[in-house]
Amino acid sequence: MSKLTLVRLYHDLLGTYGDQGNAEVLMYRARARGLSVQLVEVAPHEQVPTSGDVYLLGGGEDGPQAIALDMLHKNSGLNRAVENGAAILAVCAGFQLIGTSLPDSDGNIVAGLGLVDASTIYTDDPRCVGELFVTPADDAAGLLLTGFENHQGRTQIGSTMQPLGWVESGFGNGLLQAESDGQVPEGIVHGKVIGTYMHGPVLARNPQLADRILESIVGKLDPFMDPLAEAFAQERREAIQR
Amino acid sequence: MLGPLRLSLAARAGALASQLSQAAGKGRGETIQGRVILGIEPDALQKLSVGRDIILVSGTNGKTTTTAFLARILSDGTDENVSTSEFGANMSAGIATVLAARPRNRYVVLECDELYLPAMCAALRPKVVVLLNLSRDQLHRTGEVRKVANLWRGSFTGDEMTFVINRDDPFLEYAVADAGHVLRVTFGGRKHPDAATCPSCSALLDWSKNDYRCSCGLGTSSAEIRADQRLSGPGRNAVLAIEAARLMGAVVPVQVQTDLTAEAPDRVASYRVGNRQIQTRLAKNPESWRESLAQISAKHVVLSVNARGIDGRDTSWLWDVDYSSLLGKQVVCTGERRKDVAYRLSVQGIDVRLADSFALAAQALESDASDHEPIEAIASYTAFQDLAAAALGLNNATTGVDR
Repeated sequence: MSKLTLVRLYHDLLGTYGDQGNAEVLMYRARARGLSVQLVEVAPHEQVPTSGDVYLLGGGEDGPQAIALDMLHKNSGLNRAVENGAAILAVCAGFQLIGTSLPDSDGNIVAGLGLVDASTIYTDDPRCVGELFVTPADDAAGLLLTGFENHQGRTQIGSTMQPLGWVESGFGNGLLQAESDGQVPEGIVHGKVIGTYMHGPVLARNPQLADRILESIVGKLDPFMDPLAEAFAQERREAIQR
Repeated sequence: MLGPLRLSLAARAGALASQLSQAAGKGRGETIQGRVILGIEPDALQKLSVGRDIILVSGTNGKTTTTAFLARILSDGTDENVSTSEFGANMSAGIATVLAARPRNRYVVLECDELYLPAMCAALRPKVVVLLNLSRDQLHRTGEVRKVANLWRGSFTGDEMTFVINRDDPFLEYAVADAGHVLRVTFGGRKHPDAATCPSCSALLDWSKNDYRCSCGLGTSSAEIRADQRLSGPGRNAVLAIEAARLMGAVVPVQVQTDLTAEAPDRVASYRVGNRQIQTRLAKNPESWRESLAQISAKHVVLSVNARGIDGRDTSWLWDVDYSSLLGKQVVCTGERRKDVAYRLSVQGIDVRLADSFALAAQALESDASDHEPIEAIASYTAFQDLAAAALGLNNATTGVDR
């Protein structure tokens, strides 16, 4: 691979909770392995490129989320990129809009991008706010994933969908998955598409997840010792016991 | 008969509770005082505000400084006595304490928490409400910036209040859309980092020329006052304070306004660590960090970050700030969430060290900084409070802010 291309979508609309930091962490960890990386910023009304490697969508308020969804509906770039083998990391509002349906800013259910089988609804339950701790679904013995969640919507993922993990503490998707045996799922993984409610930014707090996304594009990475990153991630994991 | 008696009893019981609290070394006691007053006389806020001219100051950044400044120019520019919030206690209890302390003072200048503002407008019936700005802060508590703007708009109706606002902030312009009287001040426009879309109709805002326009009409009301574009955040807030004071009938000399551009008031304190005074700036959300970083000139810098309730329990916002002005400087991070900020800086290519306490952070820099080289610091809300408390000799970390 000559150059890894990260695409940050609509930072003005989907950048409320520091999630643009996910792109910075990916660049930092890729460059530490000697990879050449470029970051493409896509502003509203600009064409979404189809040849990117990793697409990043962050959290946003209801109104901006509705506009972002509208733009992405009018512009098939993101769906085509996924068909071309691109990875997606979609956080919170971004996670909701890559799903099948979600509420618009008036609460009416509208169609999402349909990249994953996930439907978001509003309930009368309180807003989901706080630290979130998750056991990775594909590796129960793996490192706990941590983040900070802040969302009103609850998301039901399809019975055949794999969550990113299972909630140890916090709300996560907030709705049970069929046959999930009482465990509450967090996020979703479908091919190279990852959705999650974890802010932090999630890749800063979970360097292993950053590497997993990079490896889904470039294959096995060399180890990278970053003591500060590991100490920070470990401190957040330990916060669950306090 | 019972009414005035109960109010008087409430005020006296509150003052006693405050003295007991101070004697026990638990801070300044204004919050407990207010709670006692409101416990005995639930209508104390309404009753204590009858016949007085009240100004409320609210917004994300600059409430305390602007309130103090406004109280001062009102006191200097009129013949009346002025009561004011002195220690940043800006919810019901703290406000009750200020009102009860000198009930005969005609003017009362009160700092008010954003979420409490609608209830305080209803209870106190202020003459003037100064709205400074609205940006992301404590999202775990407020939810979204737009939710605060909506909450405000629903309660800012009627003809009794006059709003003094920075109209360059689209959230404020939206919040006062149904208000009877608005004095708009413009500083020539500056793109708002959280307002890509219209607070009113959700369409993308047109920010060309650094000013906003929306097809729904937001942004078309013209400003009564045009002020200096070069003013910093505190300077802009001070202009709003001056306009509010003038509305109340104060005479504000031109010199006061001129002095602003030279040196705007700010939340800066100097703390002694060892033999050194360290200029420390309070910064508590992305916008105030941007302002503070722009004002740091020292090569040796301490950053102190906590994530207790009023700091915002989520530290994600640290990634919304550009720290490139710190590149090449010596930076030591401290506070309970020092690793969060240190890692963020390291990803931006800034060399950082960690220290367990503010004093140790200063010591770590002491060996590098020669005597004439200053050390400057930025501290998040509770980190700043802890420094203030330590300087006052208080053990308790909570120094009287009622949250």
